[in-house]
Amino acid sequence: MNLERLEISRLFHRFGFGPKPGEFANAVKQGVQTTRTQLLNPPAIDHGLAAVPDPVLTDLGNFPQTGTPARTAFDINMRTQRQGLTLWWLDRMALADHALTERMTWFWHGHWATSIGKVEYSLPMFTQNQTLRTYALGDFATQARTMVLDGALQYWLDGGANTVSAPNENLAREFMELFTLGVDRYFETDVQAVARGLTGYRVNRSNGSVSFIPKNHDARTFSILGTTGTFNATQISDLVVARDDCTQFIADRIWFRFISSTIPRPEANPIQAAFASRNISKTILAVGSSDAMSDPQYSLVKSPVEWFIGLCRALRIIPSQLPKPEQVINYLDKLGQVPFVPPNVGGWPAGEAWLTAASAQYRLQVAQYLLAHGDLTPIKSVTPSSRFRAVSDLLGIANWSLRTERAISDASNDPTRVILLAASSPEYIVNA
Amino acid sequence: MDTLSRRRFLKLSGAAAVAATAPMLTMEQIAQAAQMRPLPLGTPILVVITLYGGNDGLNTVVPYTDPIYSQARPDVSYSPSDLLPLDNQLALNGSMTGIKSLWDQKKVAIVRGVGYPDPDLSHFTSMAIWQSASPIHQVNSGWLGRWLDTQPRDPMLAISLGSVLPPLLAGNSVAGSALPLGGIVVPTGTLALDCQRISSVSRQDSTLMASAATSLRNLFDLSSTITPILKQPAPQPLDLPAASGGVAGGSSDLQQQLDVVAKLVAAGSPTRIWAVSLGGFDTHANEKGAQSALLGNVSGSIARFMSQMRATNREKDVVIMVYSEFGRRVKANASQGTDHGTSGPVFVIGDRIKGGFYGDQPSLTNLIAGDLAVTTDFRDVYASLIEGILKSPADTVLGNWKGRTDFLVKT
Repeated sequence: MNLERLEISRLFHRFGFGPKPGEFANAVKQGVQTTRTQLLNPPAIDHGLAAVPDPVLTDLGNFPQTGTPARTAFDINMRTQRQGLTLWWLDRMALADHALTERMTWFWHGHWATSIGKVEYSLPMFTQNQTLRTYALGDFATQARTMVLDGALQYWLDGGANTVSAPNENLAREFMELFTLGVDRYFETDVQAVARGLTGYRVNRSNGSVSFIPKNHDARTFSILGTTGTFNATQISDLVVARDDCTQFIADRIWFRFISSTIPRPEANPIQAAFASRNISKTILAVGSSDAMSDPQYSLVKSPVEWFIGLCRALRIIPSQLPKPEQVINYLDKLGQVPFVPPNVGGWPAGEAWLTAASAQYRLQVAQYLLAHGDLTPIKSVTPSSRFRAVSDLLGIANWSLRTERAISDASNDPTRVILLAASSPEYIVNA
Repeated sequence: MDTLSRRRFLKLSGAAAVAATAPMLTMEQIAQAAQMRPLPLGTPILVVITLYGGNDGLNTVVPYTDPIYSQARPDVSYSPSDLLPLDNQLALNGSMTGIKSLWDQKKVAIVRGVGYPDPDLSHFTSMAIWQSASPIHQVNSGWLGRWLDTQPRDPMLAISLGSVLPPLLAGNSVAGSALPLGGIVVPTGTLALDCQRISSVSRQDSTLMASAATSLRNLFDLSSTITPILKQPAPQPLDLPAASGGVAGGSSDLQQQLDVVAKLVAAGSPTRIWAVSLGGFDTHANEKGAQSALLGNVSGSIARFMSQMRATNREKDVVIMVYSEFGRRVKANASQGTDHGTSGPVFVIGDRIKGGFYGDQPSLTNLIAGDLAVTTDFRDVYASLIEGILKSPADTVLGNWKGRTDFLVKT
């Protein structure tokens, strides 16, 4: 196995959404070190994103009464905004010249998994998405402090319903279990105490603004994780995020999504040391430079959105410019993953959960749909005998098995078939 | 790796399926499997219904005559007139008319206070425990997946509805299949030949790549058998009014899933295990309306399904189990909801079931840190189903587990 090519393929697919045409071959020429430096350090301005305007989202206010013309108009606005929001993000993933920031925003979206299915309004989901982007590679303590008072997250986990008279534990539990510490690293009494400290915040659901209502807040003295005092949301976030368990937990989550969802992180590992600073950028550099990157045992299944965006980038497709863009969201739904709609607060599954006959079927359908609208020039423009090489560079494949090499070579007279086979191959569905 | 880090790691993976290598089939096996080989009549079939989010057991099987019930949750409790009494202590949620009617026919076992020792209040840990049937040592296989490990390999044997595989069907060496609601569309012509070529497992494949290849290959095996059947109409429910269909408020996702199961069971699909699910039970706020609508869906969909089975010759073969990852706190919170709790009721339904209550109702006074005690271990229920319905020794799935729940009709 060509380990240099393997590492470059992993850099493109795990720290971005796959190469744009020409990028992979160029990176192979430049070598791993240069490619790593380039892909892990975002530039100040991304020219690819200049073509993606922010969605126009207005505060739609309360739900009008059902059955009225106002409600009909409202429902249409809600639908339009939601579709616009989803396509906007897919466009950003597909068009970014340097995809690391979008990739990290995508990682954090799965981490603080908030669903528009309950929030319903697009504006607060957009605000949250921008927060995740701002802190995607920044300071985790600041990210957590901002997120604990994020309107969409607060509404999603019943924050507004949590008052001093009888706390609601939903946000408190998930904040520690899923966002910062990991399960079993606190007691049930800590869940109850954190819930008390998080009382008193009210959410405006339609625009996501959060305000503090002192009379609803439990201002008494109590203990959280061994620290006694009075607490508000910001203090709780800082207290929890400063713990060593948070280092372990976030290091594990990053390992799980960037290195392997099937083989655990070794105890001594540079990710953990880097995250001790809470500096996400530094941590990602440590992951991307670690020995694990060239260790063949750590293959990783692409999630449906990652697979889909990878093809869009290779075929120069802008999701929102497809003839029926709502069809895109439909297809992603069939594949089991639509941005802004995680299945639950734990985020999306990983690994073999995506490898079912059902998903194989939909991947074939989606690949055919994208090929019908994509730019096939990189394959069409070369002679049939060069197409096998060309498609592996186009999609950023490390190495082919003999099985796939033969199947693609035998199809080399037909550029569409060449790309369809490559896109549906185990070597592309799974990043080696 | 040491057990602690392994346990921690597997927990981090949440409820994601962690299957081992999926079945590897040769073309000859696929061709054979594609021919109809109906399940012999009289073979029991298990339908597992997972309720995601933690269903509030106390508002499902309600201790309506215990004054502490309404005192603990004044805004989240039901008055007797809203309920369907089963005896002078317990009543079903008023939306569960379908299951009440099956109860009256003695086809419903309600196992009370079901859970596991040292309950975990995390959705993800608790669901992983229920699906793996291993409360202490974290294992990366599902309980029904481990049963699949003991059977001849066949992608038709256990099928989950939806495109993502739940962990309960992931074995150590075999995994169940996932079937999308719309059914499978098999590639044809050149594409089919191409797909078959890239889906043969290569020696150069990593474990995950081999699974990706197998999933594409299984598409052909599943589709050739299932596609013609899905084109048939669902069996007509015999004894339910056609207009209402038994589901208040129209078709639910669960009903659609069970309609597909009904068609395939009626056609003789060689499938012993079906897995379907419904989400939305995490009722931290405004519980009553939401939970009651969901339970209405569950009850109506089950009643409709059992009625569909009566229109086939499989009615005596089907057994349904309904469970959730935990029940909820006895005391309500301030948002007219309830927070995460511990034990809850499990329903087992079918002609092979002796209707009635099993296990003790957890006391509302002897609470453990505000939560209900566990009076029945969930492995008792699983072991009884493995032996009585899957007709296999329970020890291959549950180790040396001795407990059983006696809800099966002796055959």
